[in-house]
Amino acid sequence: MKSKRSINFILQEGGIGLILIFIVIIFALTAPRFATLLNFTNIMQQISINTAISVGMTFVILLGGIDLSVGSVLALATILAGKVLITENMSIPAAVVLSALAGIGVGMLCGLFNGFVSVRWKIPPFIVTLGMMNIARGAALQISNSRTIFGFPTSFNKFGTVNLFNVLPSIFLIALALVIIGHFILKYTVFGRMIYAIGNNEEAVRLSGHNTAIYKIAAFAFCGFTVGVAAIMYMLRLNIASPILGTGFDMNAIAATVIGGTSMSGGKGSMVGTFLGACIIGVLNNGLLLIGLGDNARQIVTGFIIIFAVVIDTYRVKFANRTE
Amino acid sequence: MKKMNRILGFVLVAVLLLGVISPVAAQDDKPVVGVVLKSLANEFFKTLQEGAEAWAKEDGRYTLDIKGMNSETDIDTQLSIMDTFISQGVDMIILAPADSSALVPSVVKAQAAGIPVVNFDVRLDAEQLKANGLEDFLFVGPDNEEGAYLAGMALAEKIGEGGKVFIIEGNPGADNAIARKAGFDKAVAEGKLELLESSTAHWETEEANALVANLLTKYPEVQGIMCANDSMVLGAQKAVEAAGRDDIQIVGFDNIAAVQDLIKQGKALATVDQFGADMVKMAIEVGQKIIDGEIEPLGWEKTPVKLITIEDLE
Repeated sequence: MKSKRSINFILQEGGIGLILIFIVIIFALTAPRFATLLNFTNIMQQISINTAISVGMTFVILLGGIDLSVGSVLALATILAGKVLITENMSIPAAVVLSALAGIGVGMLCGLFNGFVSVRWKIPPFIVTLGMMNIARGAALQISNSRTIFGFPTSFNKFGTVNLFNVLPSIFLIALALVIIGHFILKYTVFGRMIYAIGNNEEAVRLSGHNTAIYKIAAFAFCGFTVGVAAIMYMLRLNIASPILGTGFDMNAIAATVIGGTSMSGGKGSMVGTFLGACIIGVLNNGLLLIGLGDNARQIVTGFIIIFAVVIDTYRVKFANRTE
Repeated sequence: MKKMNRILGFVLVAVLLLGVISPVAAQDDKPVVGVVLKSLANEFFKTLQEGAEAWAKEDGRYTLDIKGMNSETDIDTQLSIMDTFISQGVDMIILAPADSSALVPSVVKAQAAGIPVVNFDVRLDAEQLKANGLEDFLFVGPDNEEGAYLAGMALAEKIGEGGKVFIIEGNPGADNAIARKAGFDKAVAEGKLELLESSTAHWETEEANALVANLLTKYPEVQGIMCANDSMVLGAQKAVEAAGRDDIQIVGFDNIAAVQDLIKQGKALATVDQFGADMVKMAIEVGQKIIDGEIEPLGWEKTPVKLITIEDLE
């Protein structure tokens, strides 16, 4: 019994973890200065935002949906939060709290909208979130008049570069907290179990008398929430808010989720897998540069490794099915 | 219900059509200048648009119809904007092409319809022009290479001969990215600097931040960073700061407000202003001269580029 469980673990989260460890060892042996605490701190800093977004993305993909609007919504959330943060005549703690509420609030609202529209009119999330991608981007440009917002309070900026024990960046801890919350919800709450069930067979869940709509809308709202948090993390890390940021963030989050073993058709996947997926992308980005690959070679190799990881995953699934 | 939807549809289409037609209907008899911009999401073009509108209002001779899109690479939208201007029969078109080759046939079409076109900001491709029967075509715009060279030399003077630098490039293939890289390279050669690495961050703040952080790990000995635009300066500067380094000089390009702020704080060394608002004004004036037959539409009318350092901002 125990050995069956450990085999299952390796076949689930463990498999992608082994790939990550393998990549880390290769870089540690070949890339100068890769295996240093300073560099690991750097990598953690760099994967934080993608990790946060991927937590929400995992919820949506587990339902069999997708969210293409995360990058634009992130930009809109930074603009609103940024505007609040530089409001004059407000004490800094009040401004920071209101700013965080504004950013997270607008993220959740956009998520609610995505979820509600796609559920109410049975529109594929692909289309609804594509629409939201344009709405949020346009709104961000309009509100900011296409300008970068800067000049945040010094204490706010400082917090973004603080490292716990000199190793763990503050924004990485926020991302980690989101991963833990996401993991907890998926594993131990009705909401979480419903997401898997709906992703596997929505009709069956509906026929057994459950209201699937509310869970689906909640999943999109949760995704919006993580994007809102990611927006505040962006501001902490780069000390600006910009209407043009976030292009490509959607694809990075989808990649992290899928590399982490979540099935695009829904119902299968885990939060730990997603986190490991985000780690793999970050480590590749960093390591390939350190071993001295040029821009184009880096892009090609990253592409191959993403495909390779997912191909390996199909074997894992086959094997897991056989052992069941 | 179905009928209702259909009526709603008609109303919607009618409203959309009105939206397209009304700017033309509202114009008086001033000559209309169609201005085709690249991305209005880009702070540089936004400044350029506002400057041009303010100038047109003050000058009073022209009605400007400024159109752009929300992405730097949306070539299709530019092509359809060109078509719209041609069928509206505007008096002059001022064009900042999103792609230096793809827009050439549109330019030929406009010229054939008797609408003079002035090419500004990014120069149309010489070979593509030749293939379409135009030997040379007047270009009004900044010398991006010269601007980058000025910024690069400012950095070279600050860190001295043998100084070790990175170049953070713009989008691979973009004309201004290529020109700015050439300018930086020239400064590296002339200032006898050592180029440790030249890599792209696609004009992006966050990407530049990650790239520079990783490069700092690889080459802690670096002394200066040349960024092909100011958005990337913002990311590079944060990476330098996060690494606890205050001995690294950074230069950029575009002169955006956020980087002016960094220069004032001594966290960035210099940037380059290319006076976007003046560029449109110059292009229109040159276009007027062509209409009046005063000049031949050939050659390169250079617009100013200026190095901006702390002295310019105080």
